[in-house]
Order: sequence, then structure tokens, then C-alpha cells
Amino acid sequence: MSSSIRRLAARLRWQACAAALVVCGALLLGAPGHAAEPAQDLRTVDQDVQALKKQLVDLNRDLFRLEEELLYPASTQVAVFLSLDVGTFFALDSVTLKVDDKEVANYLYTEREVQALHRGGVQKLYLGNLKAGEHEIVAFFTGKGPHERDYRRGTTLKFEKAIGAKYLELRISDRQAALQPEFVVRQWE
Amino acid sequence: MSRSRLRRWTLTCIAGVLASAAGAGHASDAARDLPPPGKIRDLDYGDVLFHFFQDDYFAALVRLEVARDLNRIEHHSAEAELLAGGLYLSLGLHSEAARIFNRLLAGPVPQTVSDRAHFYLARIGYQRGYYAEAWRSLERIRAPLPDALESERRLLASNVLMAQGRFGEAVGALQAAGDDDWAPYARFNLGVAMVRSGAAEEGRRLLESVGTMPARSEEDRSLRDRANLALGFAHLQARAGEPAVAALSRVRLDGPFTNRALLGLGWAETDVQRPERALVPWLELREGRLLDSAVQESFLAVPYAYAQLASNGQAAQQYRLAVQAYAAESARIDASIAAIREGGFLDAILDAAPRDATAGWFWQLQSVPDAPHTRYIYHLLASHEFQEGLKNYRDLRIMQRNLQRSRDSLAAFDDMVEAREQAFVARTPRKTEVLEGTDLQSLALRQDALTQRVAAIEAGRDVAALASDVEQRQWFALMRVDDVIAGLPPGPQRDALAERSRLLRGTQLWHFDAEYKVRLRRVKGALRESQAALDEARGRVGLVEQAGATAPLDTVGFGGRVVDLARRIDEIGPRIDATAAVQQRLLANLAVQELEAQQRRLANYAMQAQFALASLYDGATAGVGQ
Repeated sequence: MSSSIRRLAARLRWQACAAALVVCGALLLGAPGHAAEPAQDLRTVDQDVQALKKQLVDLNRDLFRLEEELLYPASTQVAVFLSLDVGTFFALDSVTLKVDDKEVANYLYTEREVQALHRGGVQKLYLGNLKAGEHEIVAFFTGKGPHERDYRRGTTLKFEKAIGAKYLELRISDRQAALQPEFVVRQWE
Repeated sequence: MSRSRLRRWTLTCIAGVLASAAGAGHASDAARDLPPPGKIRDLDYGDVLFHFFQDDYFAALVRLEVARDLNRIEHHSAEAELLAGGLYLSLGLHSEAARIFNRLLAGPVPQTVSDRAHFYLARIGYQRGYYAEAWRSLERIRAPLPDALESERRLLASNVLMAQGRFGEAVGALQAAGDDDWAPYARFNLGVAMVRSGAAEEGRRLLESVGTMPARSEEDRSLRDRANLALGFAHLQARAGEPAVAALSRVRLDGPFTNRALLGLGWAETDVQRPERALVPWLELREGRLLDSAVQESFLAVPYAYAQLASNGQAAQQYRLAVQAYAAESARIDASIAAIREGGFLDAILDAAPRDATAGWFWQLQSVPDAPHTRYIYHLLASHEFQEGLKNYRDLRIMQRNLQRSRDSLAAFDDMVEAREQAFVARTPRKTEVLEGTDLQSLALRQDALTQRVAAIEAGRDVAALASDVEQRQWFALMRVDDVIAGLPPGPQRDALAERSRLLRGTQLWHFDAEYKVRLRRVKGALRESQAALDEARGRVGLVEQAGATAPLDTVGFGGRVVDLARRIDEIGPRIDATAAVQQRLLANLAVQELEAQQRRLANYAMQAQFALASLYDGATAGVGQ
């Protein structure tokens, strides 16, 4: 075999090793920044995109505020939240919410949403307007209770709506002593 | 670390922050990152978390900004600040995230919060390639982070050190990594770092341990393949053929590293003087797609093996085949370059990519579509630089859609403001009529007079004044009877009548006196009620008058905000388009450069093949001559 073919083979072998190290290097570095520094123009675009994203976040924030203040002014605003406290004895499927005997929300939960509630998230279930005075809220919860049995429970609360936003929380918690879920409505000041 | 693992890392870090905020421990296991339920002290913060825990970062961030603006999450201000930084980081806004973390660190915050903020800043620095800054941030972390975050911090520390070329220190940092989910990655990194820093034997031992570990998932199998690939080539560099064969043989035949492993396997076989066995992986590799650089190299490796076996005729034939294959491939690359230069390059990639409903803003291209634009730039597409650019371009498209939705909402709000204005104008006459017909002043005067009268009755204990109408009529009738009796001629009959009248008046007065307290209490209660009703009426009239005065201003205020938002939308829209165009052009240029580099490499291979061919012919000619 000629020496030139040997030299070619040696070069190819070296290239293979180098290429494999590149592959391993990419893993070694694990995170993005280790590659060669991006070109200046790519960095500039990245900065422009960041600035635009920030402007879009601000825009959405202002739009969100405008929507809330326009549609649900503080003087009449009523917000109903739903939270899960532990929830060992109850697997939530759906909630029906009535305000002054009128159904205002009927919500079917996905697994993802239930997980988010379990992790400490609180769902804003309903946002609406009510006149000042006495009102009644009724919530029906359906799901699986202890021993995988179908479970449907309701809870109710009469509350006074004054001038100013009213926050109510539907809370599903565990009553350890009775090994049963508990459903309560709580008023927030 | 794989990109999906890296992404999970980011999520774990953010979740970890939340868990800490609520006083919980940390772990890479999502379930253990939960803040204890029931600890939410501001419902709006819970609403933010509800979206955050569903990976809807944009919605979470917008709600968080609104809640912070309206001071609705004052009980969670520190963790909300950390969460905001994390969310901005997740959306790729490194500068904003860094600004938030630095602001947070400028104030008095608990050490647990400041340690996490430094951790985030280190991540940002690392991601942006500012390794010295990243290292400084890591050094400012004063206490071990809880559970999995601590091993992630060590991993980050080792990565930063490695990125700076400080392999010896990286080895030290990785040796402290615990035996958790990240341990195989840490061992892999440590192995490669040690091989690079000269401690090859220990490095190879670590790579061997990763390469032979039990794999529970595709990610584990991929890591194992990489470890075996790295180990095989480490042995190859050390001219240790047999161990290289053993390591490379463990790489799966249907994984992303198969081609590179087959190529290395052939070289390992030639190292131990088994060219006939080298032909097995190389011939297998040569059946692959020529766009892979390992396959391209196999076209030169195969004839080398034949030449080693002194099968020069076959070697020459294979070199000719290689020259033809390279030429054909180069022509196909020409077509790819032309396709990219036609435009719409990134749109084609994104449109061909499978849709991921949950991808949201936190996305990356998981698989490359097989199209003329992309066929030859797999490596480029996989590079961080390109992925970031592509992600930016995709984000810009999402932003444009978001902006369109905002535009639609704003049009609806504009209509509502107008409707509100019209409703106000329509209600004004009725409002004026009601207000004019409500004489609160005279009602107040009557209330005052009544109050004074009751006070006088009470002061004089005028029991008869509180008598009922019937009683009062009876009382006044008795008065008149007395007058009549007084006009009668004196005598026994008049005396008898006067006595009877006196008895009747006494009885009546006794009855008034007995009822007096109850009646006074009742009258006073009624007075209080009428006063309350009067006050409420005053309040309502005040509200109506106030609404009359402020509603036009509110409407103008809302109208002004709608106009301002519309102006901002109109301003951002063209900038998004322009930035997307620049991004598209830059990435297309990168792709063309990559393709041209590939063409140059193919031309070089073709030249080498021709040179080898000539060399074989020369040898054959010399042999014939001799």
C-alpha cells in the first residue's frame, strides 16, 4: 500500500476522532452558551427580539388591565377562586357555580389543571359584576370521593357585596378526622 | 446534558423557587417541588401559579405583572420577583431577567432568596457565554441549595469551569456531585473532562461506568451511546484498538450516534490489524445517506481497507465510486443552496415540524423535517446558535399572532367605550329628572323637626303626645266634655258629671303613662331608621352625582388607553416583521455557509480519492514495469 494512502487514512482517522469529540463536546457542555460566540448580528437580532418580547408582555399587561377595569370595575367586581388543600379524599372532575340562583360557570377540569391546583395554584373560576347588597353563591363539586366512589357535594354562602371588589374562595380540603373531603366558601377581605 | 433535560432543569429551578417561597423542600421530582397547599396569601398570586404550573408561562407572566401593578400580591413580593425573573428567563428575556435578579439582590432579601437569585444569574451568564460573570455569581451563593438544586448548581459550576478550560477544577466540582438524576450526566462530563485534562485512565473508567449503566429511558440510552462513543474514541486516541471495539460495539445500531460509532469501529479494527473486519461496519455505514459526514468518510475508508488487504483493484474501484458519489452529492447541495436562497427557509422548517400543542413559548425543534432546505444542515440545525435563532423566529411569528389577537380585543374595547359613552348620554335626562325630583333638603328639615319634637316630649314627659290618633281624639273629647260641664249650672248633677269626667281622664292618663316608655322607644327607633334612610339617600344621590361627573372622564380615560394601546400595536407590528426578516436572512446565510463548507469538504474528499487512485495506478504501473 502506498504511503500516500496511509497518510490519507491517518488524516481520515484523525478527522473521525475530532468529529466524535465535537459530538461529545456538545454534550459535555450541556448548555447553550458554550458554542462559539454567536456572530454580532445574530446577537443584535436576539436583543431586538428580547426588546420586542418585553414590549409585548407590557402590552398584554396593559390590555389585561384595561379589559378588567372596563368589564369588571372594582365597584361591582366579584371574583370566585377555587383551590385544593391536599385533596387526598377527593379527585376533582367539575364544578358548577351559581350566583343568585343563576349558573355562571360550569367547569370541567383536565388532569393538567388538577395537577396545577394540587401544586398550589388557585384558579380564577369566575369574574363578574354584582350590585351592592346581599347575594348567594352555590357551588357543586363532582368527582371521585373516598374509595373511588362518585361524589357530588355542594356548598353555599350568603354574602354582602359592598362598594369594592369582592373575592370569594371555594376551597376543597381534607377533613382528616372523618376521612372525608370538605368544601367551604371563604370570603377574602 | 440533553436539551429536554436542560429544559426540565429550568422548570425545576423555577418550581424550586416557588417551593422555597412557601417553605417546602426541593427536589427534581416535580411532586416534591410543590409549595404546601393552603399557603397562598394572595389569591391573585395563586392564579399566577395556576397558569405557571400548566407551563403557560406567558399567561402567568402577564397576570403576575398585572397583579404586581395593582399591589395584589404584597404578601408574596419576594417570591413573585423571583418568579418574574424565572419567567422572563424562560421566555428568553435574559436581560430583563438579569435586571430583576440584580434588583432583587440590591434589596434586603433572605439568604435563601439571594442564593437562588445568584444561581439564576449564573445560569443566565452561562447561557449567554459570560463565563467569568457566571462564575462570580456561583461564588456568591453562600449556603448549599436544597436537595436537587444543589447538585444542579455543582453541575452548572463544572460546566462553567469546563467552558473556561479549567478542567482540573471542573473535575473537583463534579466529584462533589451527588448520586441523583444528574449523576450519570455528571459522570459523563467528568469522564470527558478528565480525558481532556490528561487523567485519561480515570476518565475512561467513568465513561465506562456510564456506558454500561442500566438505561430506563430513551434519554438514558442516548447518554449511554454518547458515553460509549466518547470512550471508544478516547481508546482510539490512545491506540487501544480492542477496548475501542468493545466500547463502540455497545452503541445502538439505530440511534443518533450509530454512524459515528460504525466509523470508529472500523478504525479500531484496522488498529488491531483486522482490515477485513473493518470492512463490515464501513460497508454497512456506506449504505447510509451520503449527507452524513461519517457516511461521506466511509467512502474513503472502505477502499483503504481493501488496499490494506492488498486488494488494489477493488480499492481503485471504490475510490472511483467515491469520486462519483461526492460529485452527485455536491450537485444536490447546489439544489439545497438554491432552495434556501429562494426564501421562506425558516417558515418551511417550522411548518414542516410536528405541532406540539403544549410547546407554547418554550419550544425547540425536536426533529428536523426532511426537505431540500434542511437535508444537509442537520448539524447546523442542532447547533445552539441556529436553534436560538429559529426559536426567535418562531417566537416572532407567535408574537405577530398575539398582536393580531390584541388588535381584535382592542377593537372590541373601543366599541365598548363608545357604547358606554352613548349609554351615559342616553341616561343623562332620566338622571337629571330623578335628581331634580329628590328634595333631600326638605326631608332633612322634617327629620330635624321631628327629632326636636320627640326630644321636647321626652324632656317634658308629655305622655299624651305619644298617644295614638284614636286615644288623642278621645283625650280631646274629654277636654271638650270638661268645658261643657264647666258651663252647666252648679248642683249635684254637675258634680256627678265632673267626677265621672275626672275619673275618665285619670284612667286615660294612667294608660298613656303605662304605654309611654314603649311608645317613646318605638318613636326613637323610627326616627333612627328615617335618619339612616335619609343618609343612604344622600349617599346614593352623591354617587349618582359623582358618576355623572366622573363617567365622562372615565370614558375619556378608557378611550385614551385604547388609543395608546392601538398606537403601540401599530408600532410593534412592523418591527416584528422587520426583525423576523433579518433573522430569516441571517440564518439563511448561516445555512448557505454551512452548505458551502460541506461542498468544500466533499471537493477535498474527491480530490483525496483521486489522489489515492492515482497513487494506486502509479503503484500498479511500477509493479508492471518491474
